Amino acid sequence: MADGTTAANPIPRRRAYRLLLGAALRAQLQYRSNTLLTLAGGIAYQGVGLAFVSVLVGRFGAIGGWSLGEIAFLYGLRVTAHGLWMIPTSQLFVLDLTIRTGEFDRYLTRPAGPLMQLLSREVYLATIGDLLTGVAILVAGASQVDLDTSPGALLYLALAVVGGALVEGSLQLAAASLSFRMLSNQSLRLFIDGIMNNFGGYPLKIFPSVTRIVLTFVVPVAFVAYLPANVLLHRTGELALAPWVAWCAPLAGPLLIALAYLVWRTQIRHYQSSGT
Amino acid sequence: MTLDATLPAQRLDLGRRLRAYAGIARVLSRTVMAYRSNFLVGSLGLLMQVFLLRVVWTSVFPSDGRTTTGGHAVTLGAQIAYSTLATVQFSLFSPWQVSMVPQRVRDGTVAVDLARPVGFNGQMFFGQVGFTLGNAPFALLALPFAILVGGAQPPSSAGTAGLYALSLLGGYLISLLLGSLMGMVAFWTLEIQGILMVYRMLSQFLAGALVPLWFMPGWLRGISQWLPFQGTTYTPIAVYLGQLGGALRAIGVQAVWVLVLWLLLRLVWSRALRRVTVQGG
Repeated sequence: MADGTTAANPIPRRRAYRLLLGAALRAQLQYRSNTLLTLAGGIAYQGVGLAFVSVLVGRFGAIGGWSLGEIAFLYGLRVTAHGLWMIPTSQLFVLDLTIRTGEFDRYLTRPAGPLMQLLSREVYLATIGDLLTGVAILVAGASQVDLDTSPGALLYLALAVVGGALVEGSLQLAAASLSFRMLSNQSLRLFIDGIMNNFGGYPLKIFPSVTRIVLTFVVPVAFVAYLPANVLLHRTGELALAPWVAWCAPLAGPLLIALAYLVWRTQIRHYQSSGT
Repeated sequence: MTLDATLPAQRLDLGRRLRAYAGIARVLSRTVMAYRSNFLVGSLGLLMQVFLLRVVWTSVFPSDGRTTTGGHAVTLGAQIAYSTLATVQFSLFSPWQVSMVPQRVRDGTVAVDLARPVGFNGQMFFGQVGFTLGNAPFALLALPFAILVGGAQPPSSAGTAGLYALSLLGGYLISLLLGSLMGMVAFWTLEIQGILMVYRMLSQFLAGALVPLWFMPGWLRGISQWLPFQGTTYTPIAVYLGQLGGALRAIGVQAVWVLVLWLLLRLVWSRALRRVTVQGG
């Protein structure tokens, strides 16, 4: 069957996703004022971090030699990547809940992939706020720095955002996959989110070298925004890594998400219905 | 308190009322234990923030480790001690659940609360106190680790330590009253999560929990000084570090805010009571 359908999956994948997502969106639009308020909450959440940075730079001139514009660019890149990842995947956060309540049983009996059904069970519109906030900070930062706006550089920026989204996503997907074995692992995912959120928006050169190594190779926060920002702001000279590593940063995302999907595939085999 | 006044149960004598409140506080302090894993993540998040603040302050401070701003001579050590203490204190005083009211309104148990023979605000107030007391051992447990990844300084003198204790109490009361006021919003709208998030972020910043008032630009410091939030975090810690010339005056300002916020809460409550909608049943 040319359109990717099989006997077990008689509906083309893209059509199934569109149908499920449309239903979720219609459900969410019933709560418009709540969505607006949650959106404002998201903006405040990201805005406070940036306000802290701007007061500091206003007082001391720079952080680690980075001007306010440069930090805003880095910060915006991180939040944009985060927002981009969160919009389609906010439901990963409740995977353990769907397993506990038995909702996941239903996904396995329907003619569509379980991951797709999980991701389209609800649309969390407030995540659009994260994306918009990120883009606003990114653009504001870019206007303050001498950013290369050649098509090549803009393409690299776009790839960096997508790559960064996939890096964050790979960690969250792999962590969520562990839900099949440990019934509640929200703590782990909140912890990863905390690392990303705390350290992702700062020039990593201000950290002690051990922390830098951890944030590059153990929890690859550096690949989300710091390394690509170094390339775009012509700052690769300050890195302890070879510049080509920074240039290749957007490739880390696709690589890691492939690995994370592999983790999902192996872990889902351990699924046991809760019986509820 | 129109409704309360009509309830015969309000005639409970003070001793019995206090015992009832202590009971509520005890029950709420125990609920904390049910969320122990939250505590672990919360503590790790707290330590990350303490560490981040230390790194950032270290990177921006002049290399001789001291700076002068608006009459304050601040050393890097004092600044790190400030941010460490501020982070721990703010997390204890301003939990994500600022008030019990929204939850009680959403699940309808507010009806039971209103029927109890002690005042509603008192129940909510002492419930929240119990919640803090339940969390306090965890905060004390996290404190040495916070000092390890951040830093600390002894109070500038024994007298300062006493003033800090007094100011800490004032800061806690202001936090509680502000939280109670925010909780009242639940009587007007059930969709309170977004509002609480905006409140938390704004109050954290204006409290000086991230940047002490002395490093804020003039206009922002002006705004912060005229709002109650600074009394929750900035005032106690600035007193502790001996950075406030008139510590007693600052504590007096806290006392005024406690009074003003309490009166405001009574006013808001008298309106809220008319809007009570009981969910379910």
